[in-house]
Amino acid sequence: MSSQNNTMKKDKKNSFNTPEGYFESFNDRLMDRIQKEEMNEAAPLIPKTDGFAVPNGYFDEVTPTVLSKINTKEPKVIPLKINRGLYYGIAATAAIFIVMFSLTWESNPEPLTFDDLANAEIEAYFEHTDLEMTSYEIAEVVSLEEIQLNDILGDDLEDDIIMEYLDENVDDIEELNLEDIDYE
Amino acid sequence: MIAEETLVQELQRGESRPKAFEVLVNTYKERLYWHIRRIVLDHDDTDDVLQNTFIKVYRNIEKFKGESKLYSWMYRIATNESLTFLKQKSRKMGISDQELKDKMVENLQADVYFEGDEIQLKLQKALATLPDKQKLVFTMKYFQEMKYNDISEVLGTSVGALKTSYHLAVKKIEAYLKEN
Repeated sequence: MSSQNNTMKKDKKNSFNTPEGYFESFNDRLMDRIQKEEMNEAAPLIPKTDGFAVPNGYFDEVTPTVLSKINTKEPKVIPLKINRGLYYGIAATAAIFIVMFSLTWESNPEPLTFDDLANAEIEAYFEHTDLEMTSYEIAEVVSLEEIQLNDILGDDLEDDIIMEYLDENVDDIEELNLEDIDYE
Repeated sequence: MIAEETLVQELQRGESRPKAFEVLVNTYKERLYWHIRRIVLDHDDTDDVLQNTFIKVYRNIEKFKGESKLYSWMYRIATNESLTFLKQKSRKMGISDQELKDKMVENLQADVYFEGDEIQLKLQKALATLPDKQKLVFTMKYFQEMKYNDISEVLGTSVGALKTSYHLAVKKIEAYLKEN
């Protein structure tokens, strides 16, 4: 404390002067400078702005545009009202037609199944149709437990090929962390 | 400015909903625009995604339970809409995600709404080399000046991981700018 007083006395003796409030604002100015230097040190090469612009008056148009889209009413679903007599007539005609058709149809007793579709057609469908589904959405509808490795491989992978691969590429079978599997 | 909690209540009540939604759009349109723009780069694409974002917010506001802040919920929707938009775009064009990113930066040179100079164009090229999440963290922190806590709510990543991600992004961008 005494040395501080001595220093202050010493300062009072000198003939230099400082601007008003210099020492009061010193801390703030120092901290500002440290922050600026830290920012520049962290990213001295990276520009501070990225150069994107918007058309004049764009933000004034956003609100009315969005509100007009929200206010567009979804089309009403009109219930199909049908005359009761006409309904019975159509149903009876359909029933007669089905009975006649089943009596005369003998050439192909097997119903058409999903398996009858050629793989190429299914693949072509998925290849050329934009399902608009992300991989996360697909993962949500397809259960992982239902997928076998051979479902996603072009050719069936035989067990001995898998064993041969593991034998060549895995040093320690324990690394695979397989549980509850009988290796014998 | 209307308090967020009051705004949510008004948005979830039938009669006050249209007026409250107008307030919501006016309050957040610019912030969300710039967030989306830094992901999809093109103005017209940004406009589409921004409108879709607000429409999704309007249709799902009743499901908003207030577990996060309203604006971070909207940022999350905007981020997902932007990334999904880019995925669909690359699929429609029959190119990979990376090829699309390179093409987007290439298009900036002829974009009338990109006023950047050479260094800003290089910055976009550098950003295109980053993984999606790192690029998001960098732009949210560096250009949007968001707090780590807020970014954490939007991206669902811990503050520690975000700091690491930001640091890595800065290093990679600087290395790219030095090399090129």
